[in-house]
Order: sequence, then C-alpha cells, then structure tokens
Amino acid sequence: MKARKVGKLDPKAPLDENAARIVRTRVDELRSFAPQALYPDAAEAQHDMRIAAKRLRYVLEVTGFCFGAPAQTARRRARDLQDLLGEMHDCDVMLPRVQAEIDRLRGEDARAVLLRAADADDLDPTLVSHAPNRTAYRGLELLAVHLRARRALLFERFHHFWQAQVSKGTWAKLQRAVDEQLNKSKEERKSPPNGNADPAPSETVRAPSHSAS
Amino acid sequence: MAKARDVLGLRCDDPFGTTAARVVSIRADELFEHSEGVLDTSEIERLHDMRVASRRLRAAMEVFEPCFPRKRFGAALKQVKGIADALGERRDRDVSIIALETFAEALAAPDRRGIQGMIDQLHEEQSLANERLAPFVDRRRLSDLRERIEELVAVADRRAA
Repeated sequence: MKARKVGKLDPKAPLDENAARIVRTRVDELRSFAPQALYPDAAEAQHDMRIAAKRLRYVLEVTGFCFGAPAQTARRRARDLQDLLGEMHDCDVMLPRVQAEIDRLRGEDARAVLLRAADADDLDPTLVSHAPNRTAYRGLELLAVHLRARRALLFERFHHFWQAQVSKGTWAKLQRAVDEQLNKSKEERKSPPNGNADPAPSETVRAPSHSAS
Repeated sequence: MAKARDVLGLRCDDPFGTTAARVVSIRADELFEHSEGVLDTSEIERLHDMRVASRRLRAAMEVFEPCFPRKRFGAALKQVKGIADALGERRDRDVSIIALETFAEALAAPDRRGIQGMIDQLHEEQSLANERLAPFVDRRRLSDLRERIEELVAVADRRAA
C-alpha cells in the first residue's frame, strides 16, 4: 500500500508544523480503512490498515512529543493495532500454505496408489491404506483448524480494540491536537513576529516549545 | 526487540530539516550497530533487531524525504528498502519455524509428521533467504550506505540553516 502524499512540507519550517501535516494525513489514512477492515474476511483492508498503523506509529515515535499526551497514547495504540493485525496477517499467509501442502501430499498419494494398482481393472480401495503420506494429513488439517480458529479469535479482539479506541477518542484527540497545531501555525504566519501586521505582543510570541527530552 | 534510541534535545520549533538530519543520523547508526551476526540462525533475535532498525530508518527517511536531495535520497532509500526486504524474508521464516515447532509440540507424536515436513521446507527457505541477505549486510556495502546517508544528513542540515 503506497503512502498518501503529504503536501506543503517545508524543510525550513518548524518541525511541529510539518509533523502536524504528516500526522494528520497518517491518521486519516488509518481511519479510512476502518469501514472495510471491520468485516471478518477483509484480509486486504486489514493488511493495509496494519501498514497505515505502522506508518502512524513511526512518525509519532519521532514527532509525538510536539502533540502531547494524545500523541503518546495514539502511538501506543497504533503499535498494539499493528501487532494485532500482524498476527492476523501471519494466519492469512500460513493458512493457504498449509492447504497447498495438503493438496501436494494428496496428489503425491494419488499417484502412488495409481502406481500400485498397476494393470487392475479398477482401483482397489485398500490400496489407500498404503498411501505414503497417510499419516501426514491429520497434523496439517489440525494446523489449518488452529489457524482458522486463531484468526477468528484475533479478529474479534481487533474489532473490540478498534471500537474501544473510537469510544475513547484515541484518534480523534490526536487529530484535534494536530489541527490545533496547524491553526496555530497558520495564525503565526498571518502575524509574523517581525512582519508588518503589527500584531498585539501576545500574538507574536510563539508558545513555549515542547522538547523531546 | 531493541527499543529505538531517544534523539535527545529535539525541539518542536527546530527547522524540519535540522530534525531530519539528527533523526536519520541516529536511526542509521542503529542499523549499523545491529548488523553483527545477523546471518547466524541460532541467534534469530539479532536479525530481528536489525530488521526493526531498518524499518525505523526507512520510516524516518520517508517522513523527512523533502529535506533531502531527491536523486541521492532515492538511491539511498532503495538500498535501505532492499536491506529491510531481505531481512524480512529471513525473519518470516524464523518466525514460522518457531510457530510450527510450538504447534507440533502440542500434538500427539503420530500427528507431527506433516508439520515436520513443513518445518523442513521452511529451514530450506531460511537458508536461501540467508544467502540472499548476505550481500546486503556485507561490511563494505554497509559502509558505503553509511557514507551516503552521512552525505544526505549533511545536506539536510545545511539546507535548513
């Protein structure tokens, strides 16, 4: 999934203003996957949401200190979401692989049974009791059952987790913090400290800067 | 998993480009610090740490992309992505092997045969992934990348000043 482009980034402008633009885009991106990803079988949307959560998490690791507590919370929850969706993805990758292995063994056995039948008019059903892979299926079938059940369990957990974050306003609070920052930057541009706008002193002083340590 | 090193002294009102230089420099250091012994399949956490470091470096480079000269940045990012992908291919096998071994242990002995077959396949893929990874973690190639990133960092710092 290609990341959405973030417009108006300026290397000379302050970190918080640029970071606000990036975080806003990344939160939008993450939330945009929710309607689809909340269907149990929407593996692709869930995978895209995992990538979006990862992108949000990493940008918040570097710039989250500019947006206070909402960013710290969102960073942790994005990490949790990434982990949860990652485990679901692992099931999605492994399950078809197990099915393919079962199919491969079946094909191998069918060929072996046919060879044993030699020139007989019909296939003797007892020949399958000598199929070379007959003891391999059960474990693989059980693995497939385990993966299906685990995926269903993880999906329930994901669904519940997402709803809980929506109720707590995890993403909305971050969005607000970021929007406040963008509004502040806009105001500051309108009334630059040494510009011609002759603003009141309180408007010209930049708010005390947060720092990372 | 290795925790990301704090980038001390960052300020919200620092220029974006200055922050880019500091963050990318530290994330690159982390990548190189974790590059020792990653081909050793008996110590899979080493590879995991380098993989996480590669993802952090890649993410930092993407966040701060506009601060770097486009062409040189593209070449360096491509190299970092190559490393991250090669590490990811190995890591996927490491994790799958552990998951299947754990699952097999929970089964009765006669039911393990099919799972063991898959574990054997995964070990072969793990060796292949290691062969493909080797050139990406070659000392000289990593030093070249480090130099490239240091040049990018210097440009970002200069441009922001």
